Amino acid sequence: MRDPRPALAFFAVAALAPLVVRDAFLLDGLILILMWGASAAAWNVAGGYAGQLSLGHSAFFGLGAYSAALLGTRWGISPWIGLIVGAVLATAFGFILGFLSNRLRGPYFGLATIAFSQVLLLVASRWRGFTSGSEGIPVPFRPGFWTLGIADKRVWVYLVLVLAVLLYLVEVYLERSRRGYQLAAVREDEDAALSLGVAARRLKVAAIAVSAALTAACGTLWAQYVGFVDPYYVFSVDLSVRFCLAAILGGIGTPLGPFLGAAVITMLETSLRARFGGIGAGLIGIYLIIYGVVLILTMRFAPQGLLPWVGQRLRWRPGLGPTS
Amino acid sequence: MSLLSVAGVTKRFGGVTANRDISFEVQPGELIGIIGPNGSGKSTLFEIISGFYHPDAGEVRLDGGRLTGLSPDRVCRLGVARTFQKLRPFAGLTVVDNVMVGALTRTHDVRHARARARELLERVGLSEKAEAHARTLSTGQRKRLELARALATEPRILLLDEVTGGVDQRTIPGLVQLVRDLHRDGLTLLVIEHNMRVITAVAQRIVALYLGEKIADGTPDVVTRDRRVVDAYLGQVYTQ
Repeated sequence: MRDPRPALAFFAVAALAPLVVRDAFLLDGLILILMWGASAAAWNVAGGYAGQLSLGHSAFFGLGAYSAALLGTRWGISPWIGLIVGAVLATAFGFILGFLSNRLRGPYFGLATIAFSQVLLLVASRWRGFTSGSEGIPVPFRPGFWTLGIADKRVWVYLVLVLAVLLYLVEVYLERSRRGYQLAAVREDEDAALSLGVAARRLKVAAIAVSAALTAACGTLWAQYVGFVDPYYVFSVDLSVRFCLAAILGGIGTPLGPFLGAAVITMLETSLRARFGGIGAGLIGIYLIIYGVVLILTMRFAPQGLLPWVGQRLRWRPGLGPTS
Repeated sequence: MSLLSVAGVTKRFGGVTANRDISFEVQPGELIGIIGPNGSGKSTLFEIISGFYHPDAGEVRLDGGRLTGLSPDRVCRLGVARTFQKLRPFAGLTVVDNVMVGALTRTHDVRHARARARELLERVGLSEKAEAHARTLSTGQRKRLELARALATEPRILLLDEVTGGVDQRTIPGLVQLVRDLHRDGLTLLVIEHNMRVITAVAQRIVALYLGEKIADGTPDVVTRDRRVVDAYLGQVYTQ
């Protein structure tokens, strides 16, 4: 982002909201927007900046969620430690996925990433003795910051806001730094990048590993906030698609795009579900149809994502642009 | 000692031998032309020197150090830069960002890289296009961009695959002058070229390939009169 004002405005609104808003439903929405925005931004490091379209990032999200939940319930270890353990595990798995990305191109890589998350789903749902299997794990509520037992949603807003700003800064770094330029080159044309002395393979693997670790951190915080880890949710393809969709909708390979995309998706989904999804309303499921149509229209008229689309109309440069 | 040495390089693709036992030396400051009909193995040889292909036999050395077996990015960092026959600009990046990628191989400072990129764009005559996206450039401008990008890696030897291929007649003299200037300033160049008028005018030495083998190696005068070169490639004795 050459112009940081939209991002400043976005994060300022998020920071000021808890001072004014008391409504738990709205605060919950804000927390989810920031949480999904951060997750999509973490995905964006690999999918946007390195051009490795992963559809298996829920693997890392799930690793983060499970690490903290298991360490917490089995040994009473702080979720902050769990966050680090999850990030380390995800980094290791990220290296494996990065290694795959050097062997598989395009759709084959995408398919491999789906398989990757589904293998972890199988492990989590079948290894009953350790993970409680498909029942999932309720995260016990132990009050305090060290145990992340926080009832006040306003505190959660600031906690997740810190994560979101951190992720945003990672993206800004990728926009401006030497490594960012090199990654952009690898994304555009790997052979040409190699011919100019860019260690393309190492760079891609590093980007995927960092993306994995950050996604795991989001997974940990999400599990602590929601209070329950369900293997069929945290390792789902749906979740992977959500990260990817938010980033693409907002503007892939831009720092603020994932947050904007997450905001649109979360608000749309929540409001449509509240409006049409109620039991007995006779319209269960119609929100999915409207949701789908809105996404199709956005992609039709703003294929590069909302942020570049708005940017072109306001004449500022939102970033390196789309992968093309 | 020679700057680049190609020794007994052989490369096979299945039953086809693209390069057979090719050897030659490049002295510092030389501009060597590589000629030969389509399919004679010129581009394969470039791929091998730049590390994209690994030869089945033989080796390439730069200043005595072995290049064979290294990855293309290592080869570049050791001082061998190249352009591509089929041009490969980073289409979605701006022209100056394209060149910065090359410059960032030699510096970690983004601002310094940008200044360096602008200098090089000035040098190849693309300054006014600096902020344009590379996809908007004409073929001639793309050639200049690839040149600037390769130069940004501060090569000791530059491999150019078809300087004048695919550009219109009016653009050729400017590109040729650019190559001459680079050579005059001391850069060592290895140039694949089909345009005989161009290559005989700029090259000090010409290596001719035919069906993967080296069939001649000498001054333009000697090579263009060589019986085998005439038969295999030129069709008749080439006179300016």
